[in-house]
Amino acid sequence: MITLKNITKTFDKENAVKNITFHLSPGKCVALLGPNGAGKTTTLKMIAGLMHPTSGQVELANGGSGDIRKHIGYLPQHPQFHNWMTGKEFLHYVARLSHISKQESQKLAEQLLDRVGIADAKNRKISKYSGGMKQRLGIAQAMIHKPTVLLLDEPVSALDPIGRRDVLNLMEELKQESTLLYSTHILGDAEEASDEILLMHKGAIVESGSLQEVRKRHQVDKITLRFEGNMQAYKGKIEAFPFVTHTDIQKQNIHVYVQNVHEARDVLLEHVNKEQWPLLFFEVGQTTLEDLFMKVVNEHAMDDHL
Amino acid sequence: MQWMTIYKKECLESARNYKWVWVPLVFILFCIMDPLTTYYLPQILESTGGLPEGATFDMPTPPPANVFMMSISQMNTLGVLVIALITMGTIAGERKSGVAELILVKPVSYTNYVTAKWAAHISLVLLSIFVGLLASWYYVQLLFGDISFIYVLITTAFYGVYIIFVLSISLFMNTWTKVPGFVLFLTISILMILNIISSVFSHLLEWSPTKIPSYLPSLLRSGEVETDLWFASLFTIVTIVLLLFGAIQTLKRKEIV
Repeated sequence: MITLKNITKTFDKENAVKNITFHLSPGKCVALLGPNGAGKTTTLKMIAGLMHPTSGQVELANGGSGDIRKHIGYLPQHPQFHNWMTGKEFLHYVARLSHISKQESQKLAEQLLDRVGIADAKNRKISKYSGGMKQRLGIAQAMIHKPTVLLLDEPVSALDPIGRRDVLNLMEELKQESTLLYSTHILGDAEEASDEILLMHKGAIVESGSLQEVRKRHQVDKITLRFEGNMQAYKGKIEAFPFVTHTDIQKQNIHVYVQNVHEARDVLLEHVNKEQWPLLFFEVGQTTLEDLFMKVVNEHAMDDHL
Repeated sequence: MQWMTIYKKECLESARNYKWVWVPLVFILFCIMDPLTTYYLPQILESTGGLPEGATFDMPTPPPANVFMMSISQMNTLGVLVIALITMGTIAGERKSGVAELILVKPVSYTNYVTAKWAAHISLVLLSIFVGLLASWYYVQLLFGDISFIYVLITTAFYGVYIIFVLSISLFMNTWTKVPGFVLFLTISILMILNIISSVFSHLLEWSPTKIPSYLPSLLRSGEVETDLWFASLFTIVTIVLLLFGAIQTLKRKEIV
């Protein structure tokens, strides 16, 4: 669908986006994941043509020449409208700008207002809209010309739980109609709606692939333990076992990342018994995407310090 | 048609802001101020305390054409300021607020975007100037004597070319910065500099756009268009086209956000 080739964007000698290459295949829902300042918005804006890459190209795959904007719907992070218009007027205006006939524009505007759930407010001035309503109107304007690719910048981050649920459901529907690329810094949203993730950090893509793939690639067995008293005392002793890769302490839990989970479980339990450690909690599990997210971010944060 | 969509939206926006009402009213005010104060000056002087005892003050009634030119010169200062004020945010403001992000991510041609906005503002401003000068003509006719309506129309038309030039500068500046106030500053500064240059080198710059108003008095009196005025107008029109072209190209190369 859309291919990004070696895209780099430099602001005042600082690379906001560093040499990223990826391909967006049709019919997929891809989450652009990363902490704040990772370069997600810049990447989306470059695809939308609002920013020009310092080097590299954005290409439309299906032989589509000419104006790439015809095929793209874009929702900015904080959509701004002509506040003196009503919601319906704005949608009609945007539809007309996309070369849709007058009657068709009217019809589409009505339909979309209904679909995103702000039909009641269609004749109200946009200046009177709440943040959630603006976000919905933003989604409606992005999809009005039936784009093949929808770019959504933080579509749910600013919404309340109900709005968030509605928009996620809407995105689920939209997946059937177009390719979705949306950015988020909330891992849960990425896990929920997307087929693939692109994990960005400091302007570079550090991990990509389908959710299962990424999960599998980074899945590590871990055993979580909790003892009475100070955890630090046990940390060193546990790390001495050969199957332990590393440990970390979060709150009152000690997470032990292990290579051979069966052996580790037996040995650890046996050891706890033998040494009479005051065990409170014992759990065998696997790392989640969140652990991966934190790991990637931390690793790279470490690199910066070195 | 996309161009018409943008044009209509701009006109609707001006209507919602009551620009179609207040801009013509302001221009009428500017235009009738001088004819009225000139006519009533003796009475005004008297009622505000008048002249010292014994002083005689014989005020000749100025010819109608001169009074009409006062309206135009009023327009040249205050009117131009109002024009720069109402156009300073048309693109810069949309880019600053972020609406341009939504609009220009749609398949909108930059040429349509710039020229439709330009045309919409011209419609508003030319209408305002026309009614303003019409009001001026009415009062001049009433208070000072006959003045040919045809000559007034021709003068207004040539003055309109100059006003379109002012508007085009403002539109061009709109594409260079996102700050409306700065657009205003640049527009006014450029006009002032042009004015100074063309009056200092007046014999060299007969065709400068800012020279157009200086040809108008004789046009108003005789109805004859001087060759210099023709050339100045032609040169101004070429400059306007270049400014529009420059604005479109600048916007194309600029990042919208």
